[in-house]
Amino acid sequence: MSTLPVTISELLGYGATPPLWMEVLSALLGAAFIATVLLTLSAVAGPWAKRKITAAFTDRIAVSKVGPFGLFIIVADAVRLLSKERIVPEGVDRPAWDLAPFLLPFSALLGFAVIPMGNGIQLADPEVGIAFVFAVSSLSVLGIVAGGYASSNKYSFLGSMRAVAESIAYEIPLVITAASVVLLAGSLQVSEIVAAQSETLAVVAGVHIPMWFGFVNPFAFALFVVANLAEVGRNPFDLADAPSELVAGYQTEYSSVYFVLFYLGEFLHIFLGGAIIATLFLGGPAGPWLPGIVWFIAKIWAVFLFTQWCRSAVPRIRVDQLIEIGWKGMLVLSFANLVLTAVIVGVIA
Amino acid sequence: MSQADDTPEEDPEPSVEPMGVDYDALEDLLGDAVVGRETHLNADGFVVRADRVEESLSALKEEAGFDHLSAVTGQEYEDRFESIYHLKKYNDPTEEVSVVVPTSRDDPVSQSASSVFKTAEWHEREAYDLVGVQYDEHPDLRRILLPETWQGHPLGRDYNQNKPQIVTFEENKNPLQGKFEDEESDTMFLNIGPHHPATHGVLHLETVLDGEQVADVEPDIGYLHRCEEQMAQNGNYRYQIMPYPDRWDYASAGLLNEWAYARTAEDLNDIEVPEYAQVIRTMGAELCRIASHMLALGTFCLDIYGEFTAIFMYAMRDRENVQKLLEDLTGQRMMFNYFRLGGVVWDIPEPRETFFDNVRDFLDELPSRLEEYHDLITDNELFQLRCIDTGVLDAETAKDFGVTGPIARASGVDYDLRRDDPYGYYEHLDWDVVTESGGDNYSRLLVRMREVEQSARIIEQCVDLLEDWPEDDREVQSNVPRTLNPEADRETYRAVEGAKGELGVYIRSDGTGKPARFKIRSPCFSNLQALPAMSNGEYIPDLIATLGSLDIILGEVDR
Repeated sequence: MSTLPVTISELLGYGATPPLWMEVLSALLGAAFIATVLLTLSAVAGPWAKRKITAAFTDRIAVSKVGPFGLFIIVADAVRLLSKERIVPEGVDRPAWDLAPFLLPFSALLGFAVIPMGNGIQLADPEVGIAFVFAVSSLSVLGIVAGGYASSNKYSFLGSMRAVAESIAYEIPLVITAASVVLLAGSLQVSEIVAAQSETLAVVAGVHIPMWFGFVNPFAFALFVVANLAEVGRNPFDLADAPSELVAGYQTEYSSVYFVLFYLGEFLHIFLGGAIIATLFLGGPAGPWLPGIVWFIAKIWAVFLFTQWCRSAVPRIRVDQLIEIGWKGMLVLSFANLVLTAVIVGVIA
Repeated sequence: MSQADDTPEEDPEPSVEPMGVDYDALEDLLGDAVVGRETHLNADGFVVRADRVEESLSALKEEAGFDHLSAVTGQEYEDRFESIYHLKKYNDPTEEVSVVVPTSRDDPVSQSASSVFKTAEWHEREAYDLVGVQYDEHPDLRRILLPETWQGHPLGRDYNQNKPQIVTFEENKNPLQGKFEDEESDTMFLNIGPHHPATHGVLHLETVLDGEQVADVEPDIGYLHRCEEQMAQNGNYRYQIMPYPDRWDYASAGLLNEWAYARTAEDLNDIEVPEYAQVIRTMGAELCRIASHMLALGTFCLDIYGEFTAIFMYAMRDRENVQKLLEDLTGQRMMFNYFRLGGVVWDIPEPRETFFDNVRDFLDELPSRLEEYHDLITDNELFQLRCIDTGVLDAETAKDFGVTGPIARASGVDYDLRRDDPYGYYEHLDWDVVTESGGDNYSRLLVRMREVEQSARIIEQCVDLLEDWPEDDREVQSNVPRTLNPEADRETYRAVEGAKGELGVYIRSDGTGKPARFKIRSPCFSNLQALPAMSNGEYIPDLIATLGSLDIILGEVDR
């Protein structure tokens, strides 16, 4: 399947191999389109859906007065957040302090560049696709550390130190588990991984169950979902911003637009995590009847719902416990999973 | 009686509570440290020389078994200062003794008791801060409630109450931070509070961190000091004091607080309370206890789960149900002002059946709610991972700090004034004192949850009693004179089992309609003092959790 920029250039009549300027333009247009979709999703998720979902979990109603189902709170919140004063505390380490908030959404958006979202919406399809996704999404920790350290606030500092410990402890299991999927698919290319899941695994009572890797290897799926919770920093692993302990962790000193960027970055990362889970384990945009993009967004939202559920019902663990679970539990399990998968794939194939 | 002369005063009436304490034997035990003897309404008091305090208290603790220093009251007379140590036994709090230490006004120095009872450290600091008594050999005699730069001692006689004092931020910002600045050390000083999501009010924890572990923590209190004792001393017994207790522990424990004042003042003025009113009081107080424990549970989970937890809202929902019942009963949601000396202000609201039905509906629903909490919280492995064996307080340390209430009971100290020093209608009802042995955060939560069940049992029995109470015998208040002027120099210290522990009030009368000294013994104050012992060496999250499990209300700590 051709990528989004190629489609755009074909639509504009320049063919599959357009001149350079057209290539750049169509890539920009494609990127803008994907970014718009994601920002819209975040705008719905951040101010509105999160409130509604948390309220449903905690027996409340939440926003209901502004517009239908309180949807216009999105506008009200946007105005509120953007019109707030941007407070720059004395003694912050600029420009690191200013750059940090941009790094978070940036890294998440970059990750989406290679994710196939169905209906041919994929910006690029490099051969090392899945490795690229993990590489850029890990950049977010850099933003958190930079922000926390540059704030010259002890709570921020503690939060960013926690973020480092957490991401080291959990990114290795995350990537190793993803590697086991790569073994199953036989390729790092994201489109190949999705294609490998389109075959039929079994037929139960006339229903074709697709060969989604979540069905093929549920153990790896579970491992990945847990590690992903740590990656996006949600309960029980929300140590980096741990409200009630560290005030707001690494983002304590950020206000106004900078806060919005951090907030946006967090949501984009949850979505990216959902997108990776959907791509690796849930057949990407595959699904019956509805167009692929709808299925894809539905899968992302399922993961988002899961993180909100955890947030409402699961206690936060302590940093030493987190590291213990990461290094002594998850790491061992993920390597066991990798070796086992390699043996099975090697013997069967 | 308060004269500190050399001869034991002749007491025309026998002591109000002729309990098992053999005061003559105690006097022999203390030997020549005793220079006189007083009779307070609750117990006899020994007047002890100011330089023999430590020795006397140590003898009373080690040899006579008075292991609970309930409170230290400082007060100033025309001719002297006086510190009263209210001692009790954890085994049997009806066995009480007071140690009265007079010092001259020119040189108000007496020996500190902090080497015998750790809890004396804070209580003596408070007496120093508010009254001006000084304690020799005290490890850290500074102000505790008022700012460091405050001039004078507000409960002293010379203090000019009309002169405003301005405390600037510059003078008081982080007065202690310098102490921890050490180039060699790799520890970090961290201010948790005064404004922090987990301090449950305005509390300042001066914390020294070694990595993420707590090397030292010191609570800095007083941000919510509202001169409650001073205000009570300016009100008359009959009406003007009762509204204040609602504001000590303002998180729905109002009736329990009112009872503390009511019990002391009724004792002081020899007021009888009709049985019917006692049943209503008991029911109302237990409703308050449920509301208070629900709030404790919710906020504790907030500290462990983070701000979006479902449990907090669930707990608030159930607390709201209690709050509605209390509103029906008293007419107020928080500041009830429902008790009167000699009873309560009015009867159960009409129609009585509706009120009783509402209470029963609530009680019927409660077990399923508690089961839900157990499913959500106590059965959760991650929660257990966080709470079991963190913030451990062993029984001996607890007693040393004068810890009471659910926190003491979670450490295996079987101490509940409702049973051990009966008041109200508790002794006629069928209920159990809940204890756990773990002493950790988990045990403290379990104790609270199980106490809610016991409170529900008590309420159910009260409702049964009230429903069947003969209509012509529903006396809500005994006949109490419009103005109360207890004769001069009657002193008493009386405590009830508040939601957080032993809530006591000491009153000394001077023949006028207002108390000459009104001292509040706040359970949160003593419980909070144990925080460093519980959390040193633990991680920040456990410090926060331990603080949450202590369930302090700063309004009661600072008064």
